[in-house]
Amino acid sequence: MSENQKNRKGGLHPNRMMLRRTLFLLVVCGIVAFIVLGIRLYKLQIIDHDLYEKEAINQQVRKTVVSANRGTIYDRNGKILAMSASADNVFISPAEIVMYGEDPVLIASGLSEILGVDYAEVLDKTKNTKSYYQTIAQRVEQEKADELRAFIAENKLNGIKLEPTSKRYYPYSSLASHVIGFVGNENTGLGGLESYYEDELSGVNGRIVRAKNSYGTDMLYTKYEEYYDAQDGCDLTTTIDSTIQFYMEKHLQQAVEDYDVQNGAAAIAMEVNTGEVLGMVSLGNFDLNNYQVLNADYQTLVDEAEDPAVKESLYNQLQQRQWRNKALSDTYEPGSTFKIITLAMALEEGVTNESEHFFCGGDILVTGDTDARKCWKAGGHGDQTLAQSLQHSCNVTFISLGVRIGAETFYKYAESFGFLKIPQSENAYPTATTGVDLGGESGSLWWTPSVFYRKDNLSQLAAASFGQTFNVTPLQLITAVSACVNGGYLMQPHLVKSITDDEGVVTRIEPTVIRQVISEETSKKVCEMLETVVSDPIEGTGKNAYVAGYRIGGKTGTSEKVAQIAAGGPNEYIVSFIGVAPMDDPQIAILVLLDTPSEETGVYISGGRMGAPTVGKMMADILPYMGIEAQYTEEELRTLDRSVPDFVGMTIEEAEKAAEEAGFTFRTIGYGATVTGQIPAKDAIVAAETQVVFYADSEPSEELEEIPNLTGLSYSIARQRLGYYGLFINTDSTSRIDAENMLVSGQSIEEGTEVEHGTVVTVTLVDKDSSMDGRY
Amino acid sequence: MQENSKSHENSRLHDYTEDAKIGRGRFDLPFALLTLVLLVIGVVMVLSASFARAYYDPTHETGGNATYYFIRQLIFALMGVAAMYITSRFPMNFYRHFSMWVLIVAIGLLVLVPVIGVKANGARRWIGFGSFTIQPSEIAKIGVILAFSSMICRYREKMRTFRYGIAPFAIILVVIVGLLALEPHLSAAIIIVGVGAVMLFIGGVRLYWFVGVGVAVGGLGAIAISVMDYAKERVSNWLDPFSAASDAGYQIVQSLYAVGSGGLMGVGLGQSRQKYLYLPEEHNDFIFSIVCEELGFIGAALILILFALLIVRGYWLAMHMRDRYSSLVCAGITTLLALQVFLNVAVVTNLIPCTGISLPFFSYGGTALLIQMAEMGIILSASRDVPTK
Repeated sequence: MSENQKNRKGGLHPNRMMLRRTLFLLVVCGIVAFIVLGIRLYKLQIIDHDLYEKEAINQQVRKTVVSANRGTIYDRNGKILAMSASADNVFISPAEIVMYGEDPVLIASGLSEILGVDYAEVLDKTKNTKSYYQTIAQRVEQEKADELRAFIAENKLNGIKLEPTSKRYYPYSSLASHVIGFVGNENTGLGGLESYYEDELSGVNGRIVRAKNSYGTDMLYTKYEEYYDAQDGCDLTTTIDSTIQFYMEKHLQQAVEDYDVQNGAAAIAMEVNTGEVLGMVSLGNFDLNNYQVLNADYQTLVDEAEDPAVKESLYNQLQQRQWRNKALSDTYEPGSTFKIITLAMALEEGVTNESEHFFCGGDILVTGDTDARKCWKAGGHGDQTLAQSLQHSCNVTFISLGVRIGAETFYKYAESFGFLKIPQSENAYPTATTGVDLGGESGSLWWTPSVFYRKDNLSQLAAASFGQTFNVTPLQLITAVSACVNGGYLMQPHLVKSITDDEGVVTRIEPTVIRQVISEETSKKVCEMLETVVSDPIEGTGKNAYVAGYRIGGKTGTSEKVAQIAAGGPNEYIVSFIGVAPMDDPQIAILVLLDTPSEETGVYISGGRMGAPTVGKMMADILPYMGIEAQYTEEELRTLDRSVPDFVGMTIEEAEKAAEEAGFTFRTIGYGATVTGQIPAKDAIVAAETQVVFYADSEPSEELEEIPNLTGLSYSIARQRLGYYGLFINTDSTSRIDAENMLVSGQSIEEGTEVEHGTVVTVTLVDKDSSMDGRY
Repeated sequence: MQENSKSHENSRLHDYTEDAKIGRGRFDLPFALLTLVLLVIGVVMVLSASFARAYYDPTHETGGNATYYFIRQLIFALMGVAAMYITSRFPMNFYRHFSMWVLIVAIGLLVLVPVIGVKANGARRWIGFGSFTIQPSEIAKIGVILAFSSMICRYREKMRTFRYGIAPFAIILVVIVGLLALEPHLSAAIIIVGVGAVMLFIGGVRLYWFVGVGVAVGGLGAIAISVMDYAKERVSNWLDPFSAASDAGYQIVQSLYAVGSGGLMGVGLGQSRQKYLYLPEEHNDFIFSIVCEELGFIGAALILILFALLIVRGYWLAMHMRDRYSSLVCAGITTLLALQVFLNVAVVTNLIPCTGISLPFFSYGGTALLIQMAEMGIILSASRDVPTK
C-alpha cells in the first residue's frame, strides 16, 4: 500500500490509500457479502426447499383422524351382533376459555348436566389454562352430543369442543361375549373376533389436515384444509346362530346354578358336516358394552375384599378371568368322552368289531402297572357287547382296545383327529391347536413319544384310552367327535362364514376338509353305538340327554383333575357331555363342560347326571329351531304329554270318544247332554292318561286347592295325586316318562300354594337308580 | 441551507472546513430513494410478520390488536423520515464539531445501563425515556464512527504509528466492549469492534495490525469455543440445530423452516405460516425469515440487491467526498449498515452462529429505526458536498 501522495490541502481530502481501501470495502461489503448471502438463500430456498417445506408443513398442520367405520358383525342369519355408530369425544380448551373470557363455571355446570361428568373435576380441568386439550368424555352418543352442540351454540362457547369418532354397540350385550370380543378406547379389537379380524374390521382411517398455529388452534385467514376419505371396515358374517347361542347360554347358566358349578362352564355347538361353530359359550358372561364391569358374582368377591390393594389385584385377576374363553383357552382332560375317539380308532383299525363281547370283572392289569386298574363300577359290568361297553362307559373294555391299537397307532390317529402333532424328537411334548379363527387358543399337551411308546409300560396308553393324562381344548374334542359322526371327515372349525368389504364384495369361507380320518362305515357304526348310550333307558350312561322325539347320541365324561389331586389339591372334577343329533343324519354336536360342580347340591357328580341333561335341554330347544322334526316312537306316542282337545260343544258321547282317542280318561259332572265346560282347558299340555273333567250344564267349583308335595313320586302316581284335587301334571320333553326309574325331583308350583281347579303343574323327573352312580 | 450555515456560524466551525462555505448542493437522490424504498418494504413486512403475534398476544402486550406493532413501527418510520431530513440539513462540520461528544454521551449512557437499565430476555440493554426505550449501544455505534473519523482526520499520518493509530482507538473500543459485556450484549460489541476496525483500516493503520489482531481474536475465539460450555453449545447448535430442535436450536430450526419453505416464489405476502407463533422474534431479529417465506427467493434476493445497491452507493459517495471526515463518516455508516445486514441475514440462514442482530429498516424497534434513519440523513448531508459534474 503506497500512501505517499498528500492531499494538496493538508489531508483534508481523502487520500488515494483511503480511496483504495474504501473501494476494497465496497467490493467486499457491497458485492461479495451479498453474493455469499445469495448463494446461501439459493441453497436453502431452492435446493433444500422440499425438505424444509415438508418439515414445516408437518408442524404447521393438525391432522384429525376420521375413524373408518368399523365393520358390522352379523350372526349367520344376519342379526347384528356388533355395530358401530357415530359418537363424539368431548374435550375442553382451557387456554381458549381464558382467551375468549368464557365462564368456567358455566362450562363445568353445562358439561356435568348434559354428560353427567363430575362438575368439580371439569372445573379443575379448566384451571390448566395453558392446555388446549383436556379430555372430558369419550365416545359420547349422538343424542348427548347434539344436546351439547346446542348448549355450545346457545352460549357461543369456544372452549368446549367435539371430535367425531365412533362407538361400538353390542345389541345382545352379553350374548356370545367371548366369541365377539370387544374394542378398546383406540377402537381396536381387544378380544374375540373383534381382535382376530381387526385388520378386516377396522378399515383405513381417513384424515383431515388443517393449518394450525403453534398453540394448536386454527390459523387466522389461512384456509388450508385437505381431506382423505376413510375406508370403512369389512362386515363379518359369523357362523354363530344367536338363537342357538341363546339357548346354550340359558341352559348352561341353569346348569351352573343347579349344580353350583364353581369354576366356570363352557359349551360349544358345531355343525358337524361343516365345522362351523353355531354357538360357543364360556361362563360367566359379561356385557360387551361395559366390558370392564365385572359380572355380579365377581363384583361381589371384589366388594368383599377389605384391603384396597387386594381389591385392585382381585379386580384385575377376575377381569382377566371373565374375558377368558374357556372353550378355547383352557385345556382339560376329556375323560370318558374321549372313548368315542378310541372306539373309532379301534373299529377303523379292525382290532374289534360290533359283535365282539367283552368281559369286565371290575379291573384290568396293564403292563407296567403294579395294581390292577379299576372300572368305575365296582364288581364290573360282566359280559357286554362293544356297544354295551360304550353304554356302560366301561374302562376295562377301552383299556384293552387301547392296548390292541398300540401306542404309535394311537398317536397317529390322535394326530389325524387334530389332537396333537407327532414331534420330530422323541422327547418333545406333542401339541396342536385347531387353528380356529379366534384368538387365545391353547395347545393340547400329551406325553412325549419316548414315554407313550414304551413297550414295557402301557399305563400312559391305558389312561389315554379312556381320556385321562393328557390335555386338549373343548374345541379340539368337539371337532374330532364331529369327524367321528360326519362320515369320518375332520373339518376345519371356524367362526366366520363370509367377509363383505365396503364395496359389497363378499369373500366366503367355505367348509374345509382337513382330512378323512375314518371311513364312512366306521363313522356309521360309531353313530349307532353313540345313540344307544342315550337311548338305553336302563344302562345308557347318557340316558339323561334324552329328548322325546329325537334320536340323540352322545357320551359322558367325568374327568378327575389328576394333576391337581397328585399335587395334594382337592378332589375336583370336570363333568362333561358331548351330544350329537339326529343320529340317522348327524347335524349338530354339542359339548358341555362344567368345571367343578359342588358336592352339596345332592346331585351325584358325573357327566351322566349333570352334563347329559344339560345337553338334552339344549337339544330340546335347538333341534326344533333348526327345523328338525320330532319323530316319536310308538312308546313315546303312548306315554308322552299331550295337548287337550276342545271338547266344549260336543255331546257327552262325542267328547268321551274324542278323549279316549287322544289318550285321556274322563269323568263328567252335571246332567246336561253336551259339554259346556272342561278342565284342563283346551290346548293345555298334560300327561297321558290324565282324567279330563267334562262339565255338562254345571260349573267348576271356585274353591281353591292346595298343591301337594310330589317329590319322590313316580310320574303316574303324581298325576293321580293331582287329579284327585282337579289339578294336572306335565313335564318337559327331556324327561323320559318311565314309571319304573324316573321320580319327581321338583315341581313348578311349590307345595302349599293355593290354586284354581284345572291348574297344570310341571314337574322334573330324575333317574333315581343309584346303581348308575359312577365317574363315567 | 443558508439558515443552517448561519446558525452554526462561529469561529470554531470555520476552522474545520472551508468547503462548508463553498455551498451545499442537493443530497444524493439514489441513496435517499433506496433508503425510502427499503423502509417502506420493511414497514409492510412488519405488518405481515407481527400480525399473528399481535393478535394472539402471548405476552399480554398488544391487547389482541393485530396492527399494534405495525402502527408503532409506522409512526417511528414517519419520525425516521423526518429525522433523516433533519440530519441531512446539518452541515458535516456540525457533526465533526460534536463528534467526541456523541461518543462521550454514548459511553455515559452505557455506564448508566447497569444502574437504571431495563431488563429484558436476561440482558440489561435498554434505558427508558418515558414511554419509549433506547439502546445506548445504538448511540455508541454512531458515536464510534463520528469520533474515529474525527480522530483519524486529526492524526493524519500518525495513524501509521502505534501511539496514535492504535492506542487511543483501542482504549475507546475496550471501554465500550467492557461496558457492553456487563449488559451483556455480544452482537453490539461485535458490530462496534467491526466498524471501529474498518474505520482504522480506512484511516491508514498498517495492515499487519489487522493480520495480527485477526489471528489473536481467532485464536481466543477458538480457545473460548473449546473451553467455555456456553460457546461450545452455541457452536454445536449452529452446526447441527436439528439435534436440539425443541430447545436451544428451536429458533434457528424454525427460521430455516420459514426460509426453506418459501421456495422460489414464496407462499405469498401475508401468507406466512411460520409467523403463527412458531418462529420467535418473527417481527424483529428474524423478520427476514418471514420475508423469505412469504416472498420467496426472488423477493428476498430483490431486497438484498436493494441493500447491496444502497451499500455500494454509500461507499461510492464516500469515495467521492472532497472532505476526508465526510468520507470516513460515510464509509463508517455504510459499513455499519453492511455489517448489520450481512450478520442478520447470515444468522437467520444459519450461516453463522445465532446472535441477536436486527435488520436495518425491517426489524421492529422504534428508536433503533429512528437512529438508523438519522444515520442515513448524515450520509445524505455529506452527499450534498459531493461536487456535481
